[in-house]
Amino acid sequence: MHTIEDIKSKKLEKGIHEALNTPENEDELFTFADYDPSSAEKTGYSNYSYWGCTLRAFFKRKTAVFLLFVLLFLVAFTFIQPYLPGQYGDVTINDYPMSDKFVYNNQPSLHNIYSTVPEGTALSYSEIPVNDKKWPGVPDEWYAVSGKLATIRRPDRFTVLEYGEEWCKAEYKGVTGYVKNNFETKLKLPDDPTKTPYESRSNYTITLYATPEDIVNPDANADGWLYAKKETLDVGEEGIAVTNQETELYTYPSTYGFLFGTNDRGQDLWSRVWSGTRTSLYIGFMVAIVEAFVGIMVGILWGYVRKLDRILTELYNVLDNIPTTIVLILIAYVMSPSVNTIIFAMCLTRWMGMARFIRNQIIIIRDRDYNVASRCLGVSSGQIMLKNLLPYLVSVIMLRMALAIPGAIGNEVFITYIGLGIPVNTPSLGNLINEGRALFVTAPSLRYQLLFPTIVLSIITISFYIIGNTFADAADPRNHL
Amino acid sequence: MLKYSIKRLLSAIFTLAIILTIVFFLLRQMPIEGYFDNFDKMSEATINAQLREMGLLDPFHIQLKNFFVDLLHGDLGTSAKYLKGEDVLTIILNKAPLSLKMGLISMGISLLVGIPLGGAMARSKIWDRFGTVFIVFINAVPAAIYYIFIQIYGTTLLGINMKFDQTNWVSWILPVLSMALGNIAYYAMWLRRYMVDEMTRDYVKLARAKGASTKRITMRHVFRNSFVPMIQYLPSSILYTVCGSLYIESLYGIPGMGGLLVEVINRQDNPMVQALVMIYSCIGIVGLLIGDLMMGVVDPRISFSKKEGSR
Repeated sequence: MHTIEDIKSKKLEKGIHEALNTPENEDELFTFADYDPSSAEKTGYSNYSYWGCTLRAFFKRKTAVFLLFVLLFLVAFTFIQPYLPGQYGDVTINDYPMSDKFVYNNQPSLHNIYSTVPEGTALSYSEIPVNDKKWPGVPDEWYAVSGKLATIRRPDRFTVLEYGEEWCKAEYKGVTGYVKNNFETKLKLPDDPTKTPYESRSNYTITLYATPEDIVNPDANADGWLYAKKETLDVGEEGIAVTNQETELYTYPSTYGFLFGTNDRGQDLWSRVWSGTRTSLYIGFMVAIVEAFVGIMVGILWGYVRKLDRILTELYNVLDNIPTTIVLILIAYVMSPSVNTIIFAMCLTRWMGMARFIRNQIIIIRDRDYNVASRCLGVSSGQIMLKNLLPYLVSVIMLRMALAIPGAIGNEVFITYIGLGIPVNTPSLGNLINEGRALFVTAPSLRYQLLFPTIVLSIITISFYIIGNTFADAADPRNHL
Repeated sequence: MLKYSIKRLLSAIFTLAIILTIVFFLLRQMPIEGYFDNFDKMSEATINAQLREMGLLDPFHIQLKNFFVDLLHGDLGTSAKYLKGEDVLTIILNKAPLSLKMGLISMGISLLVGIPLGGAMARSKIWDRFGTVFIVFINAVPAAIYYIFIQIYGTTLLGINMKFDQTNWVSWILPVLSMALGNIAYYAMWLRRYMVDEMTRDYVKLARAKGASTKRITMRHVFRNSFVPMIQYLPSSILYTVCGSLYIESLYGIPGMGGLLVEVINRQDNPMVQALVMIYSCIGIVGLLIGDLMMGVVDPRISFSKKEGSR
């Protein structure tokens, strides 16, 4: 160690000696610079741009950028979703006939297994051209099937093979099935109907069904089709197919299931969640924009112009203390409840909070030295507000804005909770969460109905919060250096 | 300052009268169906007779005059629907203390936890991570939902009944905690924001150059300055605890003030609505005034009275 130190100090000494001993030429050290007006102008120039720096600082933060993309994707997806193949409508009640199973409160599943039919059941089948149907894209390996085998018109006779209280097993033109036996059909019965087979006839047109269950739910067979895979059916003559194995019947867009399950009205939660997200984001954006614009305008005037302070404070006291619920009820009474009504009502009540927030911020900084200096220099009030006060507040305003959107959505949840929200038929995150919340305690198996809208709402809120915070940090000019 | 506060208080009385008049007017605009339980089955004559009995058919200014005259005699009227015939003041005095007690406890907790948390978040990376996760969670999940979670899992954990029992202190824990969570996140979030903003100021640089320790800088310089914007809201939020929380009180069945206003508005119990609006307005106005005064006390640079050369 000593040696290294010695070597270093010696080197340094040598260097100093050399520097001192070299003769200096004064003319070389000092030269006069020519006066150049263009370079004199240049000195004040800097290529600093506020928004450029803000954006650069923002894009350095990976998490925020990632969440920004998540959010953009989410917004885009809410618009794309209805155009994806095999989507159910957001308000369509998926009450498909032809099955003993209901689609109410279906658990989330990838495949839409609707019901199963035991082996050997006769089903009428139909090779409906794919283009005839409302939904596009039925694959070739599917048959449309129905429990309805044939229609027996009034003079036609059929053979009763087995007698039952509600139904009779019957044969009609070589097809065996079941017919209804009640007051409505008025079957002609022999003296002892238990002695089968016998010839019968109905007073009305009746239908021959594949299974007795179809008779119990007669309305279910009125129209509509289910779909079964071709390989599970043995197709016979006259449009009758017999299942050769346990067959699964699917509802129309066959392979698509209810990804998020269905609610108690049989509506598809997947499309409801996306449609609800679209509605809620729309509400959130509109309310946040109006809130920010009106709030900032009023807030700056309120905070900066002393003459207005008294009047606006009193006005705020008046407006802020009129209960929101009264305003909401009256708006709901005057205007019909709709998305736009709720936006209007929320704008009417929320801008005041923003205005007061801005006012408090302005009061804190309005008498700072730089503002006093500007005033002394005769800068107009408008200029001071726009150039001195507002840029100073960008970071807090941004954070507040970012929270305003989820705040408005949360507010909608609350308004729905007290029963003044958007009509239940229009899906929105508020409606969905409230429906799910009611089921959460009473029916533990149906908790998925709360889970999915909550997850989407949480993602939106988290994204806005983190993006807002990062942007607020990035917008602070002191962090630009 | 004293002159300013007296002026503000006097004008507050005037403001209160305007608020009550507007609310009084708005209540009279409500659909008359709301006054009756079986509106469809009633004949026009009965409806009119009952409306007259409630004094709703008098001209507006006479109704208003009667209301203010009663008010000046300290008579808030009797409840028309909520608890029929009961004195409004008695109902409110029965309910308010419980909400106030609960609110004040939760307020205390949220200040005691939220402010240190916000301070710690501004100073250390680890706390910032932890606090951000907490704040994001609280902000992201709708309050109505995590309240349910806390109720369902909390009650099984503590082994108590879902319903609130005033005499058992254990059953106070969950509602108070649920109420505090949101405020903790709120205080921590804004304190952090303001503190981070203050950290880059020149006076901090000076203090550091002077050789002051980081702890001293944060506590004596940064914290004090960042707390100024929050002072404004503090009195109002403390006073507003008397209103209770709608969600929590309905979840736990707490007989407090939460949701009372919404309920009486929905049931169009006008005397109750007017009384409640008056109380809440007083709270709001006084809260704003105290907030303004406190801001002036904490930060002497802020002044509300007219200054030479200002606009």
